[in-house]
Amino acid sequence: MKATLTTCPYCGTGCNFYLLSDAAGQLTGIEPAGKHSASRGQLCLKGWNAHAFVHHSDRLTSPLIKQNGKFHPCDWDSALTTIHQRLKQIANSYGPDSLMFFSSAKVSNEENYLLMKLARAGFGTNNIDHCARLCHSSTVTGLVETLGSGAMTNSLSCFDATDLVFVIGSNTTEQHPLIGSRILLAQQRGTKLIVADSRKIRLTEHADLHLRHQNGSDVALINGMMRQILLDGMENREFIAQRTENIEALRQSLVPFSPEYVARITGLEDQQIITAARAYAQARSAMIVYAMGITQHSHGVDNVRALSNLALLTGNLGRPGTGINPLRGQNNVQGACDMGALPDVYSGYQKVADTKSRLKFSQAWEKALPENPGMMATQAIEAAAAGKIRGMLILGENPMLSEANQTLVKQALNNLDFLAVIDIFPTETAQFADLVLPAACYAERDGTFTSTERRVQRGRKGIDPPGQAWPDWQILCALLQRCGIKADYNSPADVMDEIAKLTPSYAGIDYTRLENGEGLQWPCPDSQHPGTPILHREQCTRGKGHFSPTNYRPPKELPDATYPLLLSTGRTAVHWHTGSMTRRSHLLDREEPGAFAEINPEDARSLNIRERQRINVSSRRGEIQVKAKLTDRVPPGQVFIPFHFAKGAANVLTNNALDPESGIPEFKVCAVRVTPC
Amino acid sequence: MLKQLNQQDLFRLLEQLAISFQLLVPQTLVDGTRGLLPWNGSQTSMSGEPLQRKPTALFFPQTDHLVHLGSDGMAATPAGSDKPLALCGLNREDLAGIAFIDRFFAAQPADDIYLKKRTAALIIGLTGYVGREQQFQPLAEGQCDFELIADQQHWLAVAYTESGKHWLADYPDGPEDVLQLLRETSRGIASQHEQAVKRASRLLQAEQVPDSFWEEISARCIRCGGCNFACPTCTCFCVQDRKTINGIERSRIWDSCQLDAFMREASGHNPMGTELLRTRRRIHHKLVDDPQRWGETGCILCGRCDRACPTGIGMFAICDEIVSRFDR
Ligand code: SF4
Ligand code: SF4
Ligand code: SF4
Repeated sequence: MKATLTTCPYCGTGCNFYLLSDAAGQLTGIEPAGKHSASRGQLCLKGWNAHAFVHHSDRLTSPLIKQNGKFHPCDWDSALTTIHQRLKQIANSYGPDSLMFFSSAKVSNEENYLLMKLARAGFGTNNIDHCARLCHSSTVTGLVETLGSGAMTNSLSCFDATDLVFVIGSNTTEQHPLIGSRILLAQQRGTKLIVADSRKIRLTEHADLHLRHQNGSDVALINGMMRQILLDGMENREFIAQRTENIEALRQSLVPFSPEYVARITGLEDQQIITAARAYAQARSAMIVYAMGITQHSHGVDNVRALSNLALLTGNLGRPGTGINPLRGQNNVQGACDMGALPDVYSGYQKVADTKSRLKFSQAWEKALPENPGMMATQAIEAAAAGKIRGMLILGENPMLSEANQTLVKQALNNLDFLAVIDIFPTETAQFADLVLPAACYAERDGTFTSTERRVQRGRKGIDPPGQAWPDWQILCALLQRCGIKADYNSPADVMDEIAKLTPSYAGIDYTRLENGEGLQWPCPDSQHPGTPILHREQCTRGKGHFSPTNYRPPKELPDATYPLLLSTGRTAVHWHTGSMTRRSHLLDREEPGAFAEINPEDARSLNIRERQRINVSSRRGEIQVKAKLTDRVPPGQVFIPFHFAKGAANVLTNNALDPESGIPEFKVCAVRVTPC
Repeated sequence: MLKQLNQQDLFRLLEQLAISFQLLVPQTLVDGTRGLLPWNGSQTSMSGEPLQRKPTALFFPQTDHLVHLGSDGMAATPAGSDKPLALCGLNREDLAGIAFIDRFFAAQPADDIYLKKRTAALIIGLTGYVGREQQFQPLAEGQCDFELIADQQHWLAVAYTESGKHWLADYPDGPEDVLQLLRETSRGIASQHEQAVKRASRLLQAEQVPDSFWEEISARCIRCGGCNFACPTCTCFCVQDRKTINGIERSRIWDSCQLDAFMREASGHNPMGTELLRTRRRIHHKLVDDPQRWGETGCILCGRCDRACPTGIGMFAICDEIVSRFDR
């Protein structure tokens, strides 16, 4: 009987719990950590069931090689040698940039670091990216430009001390339940709550103001609010004068966004926009909370810029209970970005194009490094479909279900000369692989994860991996060694030591410090530094906060006569992304066993659709069948489909129109047609 | 039988128990909470906050393997551990929790999987000056094999069963007058939560709480299941069948009545299809149905659901709210 404290493998809230295991090395349950600052003795349903998929019989237990279309078990040595040789051959024949490496927000910091080292030093390409491309790439671009750092500015504890929370594009109680609950508790204590969301999510029932604006009209709404704030003279002049630049350009850009104009675009009442603006500006401290509803648009970066402008305009930055708080979806999506599993930066956002940085990494790794930024994950899919990417290594990701426009993804994966997948389950993507390697899951390996509040915390091994599965870091070390790169780490702690040496924001982080504490919030520049709960305190990371004017651009594909409904996609409370873990967890799968579409009863009536009836939903890219769920959670004219399900996969329908700067697809808006089956 | 033990005696007793039992004692976990873990011969945390995990989980675990059906048609039950459990360190509420579910699992048809583990086990209460910062914890005065009561210097040990008497036989007799004093201290402690829960129970039985109240409360439920998973008197489970390499393994796993699928019919229709109905039912079960069936509420006042509920609608919070709004 054993209790191992570890970090939840699901969302970015960073809850900690004990993995309970018996003498036979089987997990028997989960107990929340009573005194941990994020979990406080509480978990959401996924957390309480985080042990449930671990012993599922679908777990991969041996390397598998595909011969004549069928997978056969093989030994580790030949599997690793094959991967190395095939990728090298492709690099030799077509250049290193014909390779693509997909890292994962589900693996540790150490593993992300090792994979980016493998791509860059081992195979000589900056073509490395991960699923942040699909969730918060817009945040990184938008916030780095305006503030200098792409992370959540404040901490979870700030929800306990704020006057107003403005939630836009985040279904917090379902996607970050233990942050959603803090918002509900704050609201009970008298904190004002404004929620901008086209769906009637749980938070809207408690909101002082629910802005049900048209999907994709966020820039107009926020610009309208800012114009009103300036008109009322409610901007924070002192903050603007001392800590920001470019206010005049912003002021000019806001002129057209009168309440009437904004009301026309957003579908709101004039007065709602004015009320929201005044409430936000008048609060002594106000937090902006957002997630995919802001980022997953073809103008996602503009949405983020607009929010950043709003916070700067009112001086809601650098103090407790304020800030711009993008909620990170996966337990290590912050860390995967921090570790440089991105095409343009090494760990700590040090640019590959910057000679000094490149030299530093090149000396540490004893290898010349490529200088051109690599390809984004979304572009790589397009490039593979076009035959320009020929070899791929995918670590713990399932693009078949997670990327927009599944038909294109299928074509891309089919087109590859060689695909290797490292995962814990035979995912939809693994079916396309030439070689599949079995990995240890979160409960079976050590490492660190960085939560949405930049808190670096330990994941701990509770039990042994099944069969011959290996921890990802060991797989990556073996591949590095085959590439002739030194990788003689004894444990992830050694990898963290190397990360700390090369990454200023992680310089003070080591396993000894993490052993007893709760984790450290970066930047943590030296071994005495206590970590940084609130960013941009005295000045912004980039110096002055930069107002970056934005203009309203509609989504790329809006409903029309042929495809008359607007489709928005997302997640539900009980499932996790492509479902490879939650759909193998009994209580979670029982709660939502199949794909469905939320549709407004008005639309259902006119389409002759009844509750739980099967319907066809089609877009310009494909068609799926799902069950109808009649609910006024969605407004008339809109349907919502979660993307967790392989049967009824929402991403067959979605539009791979990318934001030109961040490369994020427009998961939140496309046009569909619904007919009864 | 009343005995008195000093610290050395206590260790000797634990050592003896560890020979015959798999002995679990309270220990401080990494995050500072206390939990029951196998005794390693030295570490114990005999005083502090209540145990984080409900001790009933040791007899009715979150995942409980029931049977393996081999592809050869043979059924095999999992080999139990070679030693029965001895749980040391349960407070009055934890003991009440075990007693509550004992009655449930023993009722016909008896649940032999539970009873097998439970009847072989030894249960040791721990009360007196063992709370946070040595605060006084009310005595159990039963519901265990023996109870260790910390006075300011010693451990008094009171046996309630033959097995309890057997294990304490070697130790010197304890002072009756000290025990008497501790009993009086214990009875003098008024539990504010107990009063609220009892009053709320009466109001619910008298149908004094309208649905509008439940609508308001349940609008704060985020469907985490924590209130059920944390509660020592919650016994609902569902059955999970899983493929193994050579057959199928059947387990029972903790269920939660706050979940939509808990009562959902195969057709998809759900007679408990809203959070309002489910939240009301959870509280009604414990405060209306249980008193009718067992003569006492199904809440043994441990406070765990209030700690586990992320949005502040655990049993105590709800009862306080009911009493303040509807008790005239
Ligand atoms: S809120 Fe997030 S981190 Fe916490 S238990 Fe749920 S999924 Fe895990
Ligand atoms: S306080 Fe809550 S957890 Fe404890 S017995 Fe009562 S209902 Fe159950
Ligand atoms: S613990 Fe609270 S939020 Fe969770 S299911 Fe129970 S009542 Fe709902």
